[in-house]
Formats: sequence, C-alpha cells, structure tokens
Amino acid sequence: MRLSRRDLLKGAAVAGAATALAAEAEAREPVPGRPDALGMLFDSTLCVGCRACQTACKAANDLPADAVAAGGGVYDAPSDLNATTKNVIKSFGDGGARHQYMKQQCMHCVDPSCVSVCMMGALHKEGEGKRLLDFEQKNGSGVVLYDKGLCVGCRYCQIGCAFNVPKFEWNDALPRIVKCELCRHRGDPRKTGPLAVANPACCEVCPRGAIVFGRREELLAKARARLAGDPGRYNPRIFGETDGGGTQVLYLTAAGVSFQDLGLPSLPEESSAHFSETVSHAPYLHGVTPVALYAAMAFVISRNKKKEGEGQ
Amino acid sequence: MSGHHHPRAIGGKLLDRPMQILLAIFGVAAATMAYRFARGLGPVSNMTDGFTWGIWEPVNVVVFTGIGAGAYGVGLLAYLLNRGRYHPLVRPAVLVGAIAYTLGASSILVALGRYWNSYWLPWLPYWNLGSALLEVAICVLSYVLVLWIEVMPSVLEGAAASQASGWASFGRRYGPLLDKAMPYVIALAILLPTMHQSSLGGLMLIAGPKIHPLWHTALLPALFLVSCLSMGYGAVVVLVNLLRVTWKAKQDQALFAEMSKVNAGLLLLYVVLRVGDVALHGKLRYLGANFATLLFLFELALFLVPAVLFLTRRGQQDRGLHFGAAALAIAGGAFYRVDTYLTMYRPAGWTDGRANPGGWDYFPSLGETVVTVGMAALGIAVFILVSRLFPVVVVDDQQTSNLGGADVRAATSH
Repeated sequence: MRLSRRDLLKGAAVAGAATALAAEAEAREPVPGRPDALGMLFDSTLCVGCRACQTACKAANDLPADAVAAGGGVYDAPSDLNATTKNVIKSFGDGGARHQYMKQQCMHCVDPSCVSVCMMGALHKEGEGKRLLDFEQKNGSGVVLYDKGLCVGCRYCQIGCAFNVPKFEWNDALPRIVKCELCRHRGDPRKTGPLAVANPACCEVCPRGAIVFGRREELLAKARARLAGDPGRYNPRIFGETDGGGTQVLYLTAAGVSFQDLGLPSLPEESSAHFSETVSHAPYLHGVTPVALYAAMAFVISRNKKKEGEGQ
Repeated sequence: MSGHHHPRAIGGKLLDRPMQILLAIFGVAAATMAYRFARGLGPVSNMTDGFTWGIWEPVNVVVFTGIGAGAYGVGLLAYLLNRGRYHPLVRPAVLVGAIAYTLGASSILVALGRYWNSYWLPWLPYWNLGSALLEVAICVLSYVLVLWIEVMPSVLEGAAASQASGWASFGRRYGPLLDKAMPYVIALAILLPTMHQSSLGGLMLIAGPKIHPLWHTALLPALFLVSCLSMGYGAVVVLVNLLRVTWKAKQDQALFAEMSKVNAGLLLLYVVLRVGDVALHGKLRYLGANFATLLFLFELALFLVPAVLFLTRRGQQDRGLHFGAAALAIAGGAFYRVDTYLTMYRPAGWTDGRANPGGWDYFPSLGETVVTVGMAALGIAVFILVSRLFPVVVVDDQQTSNLGGADVRAATSH
C-alpha cells in the first residue's frame, strides 16, 4: 500500500497525541471511606463446624433445602454456595490439629467487582445505586444489595467476583442472582447501632461466637486485639483488611494455616474494580476522546467524499 | 466508480438446496432456544456458576463480532484513508458486519437470564459507566443500527432500479438523501467498533485473578482492538474468495496484495504487544513445558505465519495461499479471544501459572453448540438472501456466468 509521507505524519501525530492524553488521564477516584460500613468477623479457630449458621441462613432467607442423598437419608447438605445456599461451612485439612472450618458468604467488598461490572447497578452498595429499593437508606452500610428489577441476568458479576459468590438460578425460566445481603431485611429500626440496619442470622445463632456482626472498624479492632492477645494461636494476618481493596467480612485463622488453605484467593491490595476501571477509562478522558475522534473523522470523511465527487 | 465495478443483485432461486439446509440447521437452533426460554439456561447448557458464559459469549459475541469487523477495517481504508479502490469491498463487508453483529446481539439476548429487564438498558440514568459490558452493550446495539443504515444504500439502489413504481420512487427519493448523511454515519461506524472492540478486551480486565497471567494484561483492550482488525481483514479475503467461487464475484488480487501489507502490520503489531507484555512484565517464568506455553506459542504462530505469508510475493499473489493466510488470521484472533474468555479462565484462579482446584469443569453442551452453529447458519442464509435481492456483490463481467444456467433471473439492477 502506498502511504504518502503526509499520511504517515498524520498517523504519527494522532498516535502520539492519543498516547500523551492517555498517559495524562487521571486514575479512577478511590472508593470513599465508609466509617459506618457493616460487616462480619469470622474466626476459624473458634468454629466447630456445627452448621447452625447454614440452617439459620436458609430459614431467615426463605431458601429451600439443597437436598443431598447420603447413607440412606436425605440431608440439606450443600457442598458449596449455590442458588439455594447463601452461606456455607466448608471443611479444610486432614482432621488433625490444623483442621479448620471455613465459612463462606458474600464478602461485601469495600470496592466490589460485582458492583463495578453490573450494567445498571442491580448489585450495588446500599444507598449508592441507581435507584433505592423500598427499604434502602443512604446510611453508608456498604452492604451489597441486589435489585432484581435492574438485573438482566448477564452474569458478569460471576466473572468479576474473585470469591465466586454470586450464584445463578440455572434451572429457572425466570432466574435471579442469589447471594448474601447481610440479612439487611432483618434489621430492626427500633434497635440501635448496627442491629438497626441489619442482623445476620448466622451471627445471631453461632454458639461459639465464631462469626460476629458489627461495624467493620470495630471488627478490625476486635481482630487486632485477638491477634495481640494470643499471637501463638493465630496467623498474624487479618484477611480482608486490605485484600482486593478490602472486604467488610474479615477472617482470622490459626497459626500455620494460610488463607489460601481455606479457599480464599490471593489478591493484591488494589481492587480489581479499581484496576479495571482505571485502565478502561484512561483513553476516554471523561468522554472527550470519542467526541473529538468522531468530529475529526466526520470532517475527514466528508472532505474525502467531496474530493472524490470533484474528481469524477 | 465505473459501471462494471458496480455491485449488482445476484438473483436466482431464493429457496435452493443450500438455503434449505441452512434454514433447517437454524430451525434446530430455534427449537433449542425456545426450550431454553421455557425451562431456563441449565437444561440446555453446561454452563455453571463457575463457567457462567459457556461458549455463547466468547464465540457468538466475541468471535462473531471479530469476523464482522471487516466492515470496520475496510471502512477505515476506504473512507478515512480515502483509498477509493477499496469501495467494491465495502458492501459485502458491511453486510457481513451487519449480520454478524446482529447475531451477536441476539445471542446475548438468548444468554441473558433476565432478558426482559433489558428494556431498561437505553435508560441513561441507570447506566453504570464503570461496567465494560454496559459500554459493549450500548455500543454494539448502536453499531448494529449503524451497520444496517450502511446496508441501506444497496437496498435503496435496488429499489430505485426496480420495476414496481412505488418502490422505485421510494428508492430514488431516499437514496440521495442517505448519501448526504453517509459521512456522519460512517464516522460513527468507525468510532463505535474502536470503542467496543477494545471494551471486549477490557471486559476481562476485572477477572484478573481468574485468567492465566500469560493472557491477562492491561493491554487486553489494545490486543482485542488489533485482533479484531486482523480478523476482519482476513474475513473480507475469505468472503470475497467464497463469493468468487460461488457467484463469479470480482476478486481484485492486486488490491488484496495491498491490503495484505496492512494486515501483516496488524498481525505483527499484535505479536510485538503480546510478546512485549510477557517479556517486560516478568511473565517469562510462566513459560515452560506446559499447556499454557504450548497454547501461547500456538496463538503466536497463528499470527506470525499469516503475517509472513502476507508479506511474501507468493502469499500476496497466489489466491490459494492468500486465502489460507487470511483463514489463519481469522483463526488466530478467534483462538486468542476464546482462550482469554474461556480456555485460560479458571473460576478458582491460578497460582504460579497452575490452576487452583475449583470444582468446576466445562465443555459445551450439544444445546449450546447447536445454537452457536445455528446462528452462524442463519447469518450465511441472510447474506445469501440479501445478495440475491440487492446490489451488494461486484460481479466480474469479463467472465461469462453459467451459474444456475436458466434458473438465473435477470438481475434486478442494470
């Protein structure tokens, strides 16, 4: 193809300008701190795997049993989170001293991938979505809520969530996304503090206090106190303090056990949402690039067309 | 453009045997889709919470639109760089683009669990601009519209030349009007694919921990943009060759020789970006005697081999070799896309290049495959139908057409 020197210069100028602009584009704003964010603290050294939380969760959220036949009987025994299970206890280890039980449910991330990817904000932080559900308030609870009226069922949340939490009703013609909403519906406005907003059934029922509900900041303080009080007992890290940009559900586990041993992913401090939005938005310059490109192209194309018309 | 370079309707029997077969294949797909709408996605697919998109998203949307990007690529050359010689390629490429994108968009609708809520999508106040998928959805839907507007000149021209007087005056009236508006439509037809093809790569940025590090990079948007163009140019070559064989369409090999240099440049750019990313971001340590390395090298070969062929004299002039190189360019882009979305995607993530145990496996079900194949069959059927009825394809007048013998109706134009 014969490219004139002018064409090449034009191309180089455009490419250079685009690169310079992209490099200058500011990063996406960090997620604002939510001092009233609610969450849970799970301490795997306390959990004995009784699964009372699993049963309480199903009752509180009106979920059917995940019937599994075993040993001649039928049990509500989900092996993982699924469309009828928002909370599950898993068992990791060889049954020896380091054997741990692990509780899995939505992490209510500080900067959630599911919220970042959700096309119309069906999954959103309470009070920060595109519209309010009838019970929803702008209270900074940070609970990730699901508005089925805005969900198209694209399942991008399942791709984005590093914890594989959102589940889909595969065998339903009118399916929904199912995940823990921190029992937001069980909040009692007559109470004070976090219980006025939400009241997770799993925390209410745990006989060992292995899972406790509260403000994230208080839970972090509590976790730090436990680590300081008995350093020999614990893995010195608090999972969720910074992992993947931080989560509102925090985890402690035993010394010698890694969080990856419990099936938690190894995540950088930058949230995936921040990384993805920063990279994706950079070339757009808050919408300037597409408009400028369009105008420039429309100009060049109509000029070319005119020249062609004159040539004939 | 001189007269014999002008496209014309192919004519001929509409419901011939190939058409019947294509429609039958689509019929099976349609029945499968009906079942899916009645019973949910689970019964027809092997999709799970782990492999939630199966093959419909990576193939029907990401690969189909890559093939449809020929319209974008040829548009860039013909209109933006003002290479008038490319005009004969525009109409077939645009028609393929319109069809491929329409099928991609319809496939999304089939794959959406709560499709009935998608009527909210055009409602601006609900847009989450952080979502790459929203960008893709809005941009692809607008582009589908733009592509069909780009198809309209053929239809209006066909109308103007028709015997029915109402239809003819309709064509004569709106043809010139549309002609005036075309530059603004074409500019949009270049801007929109630039945006959503990079977003198709950007879609997977957020799945960082779940994609093998050799495939996950901040360059995903750039790699998807470059690969859509290399696929698109490849698709145009393959298309014109097929049209020449079936309908004696004009094939300007000198033009392809020129275009092949452009595509070689794109293919090499992809390789440089891909290898550069792996080398500069400390990912060389993932290379070794493993499946990921094999697949990575295989993909690179699918870009390098056609690039080299496109640059050699024989690869440019030998029709068979050129066709092969173009087919490889399509395959390269298709493999890269499917591997990023599916083959090297693991819900439980990767540790040091090895997949963590996750408890999910995936292989497409018969139902999923039938829908994908059926959609492709429908696309081919629509292309044949439109080309028979309207002036899309430039037929080589120097050759005597003996196709279909007496069956061939007089072409509606000229």
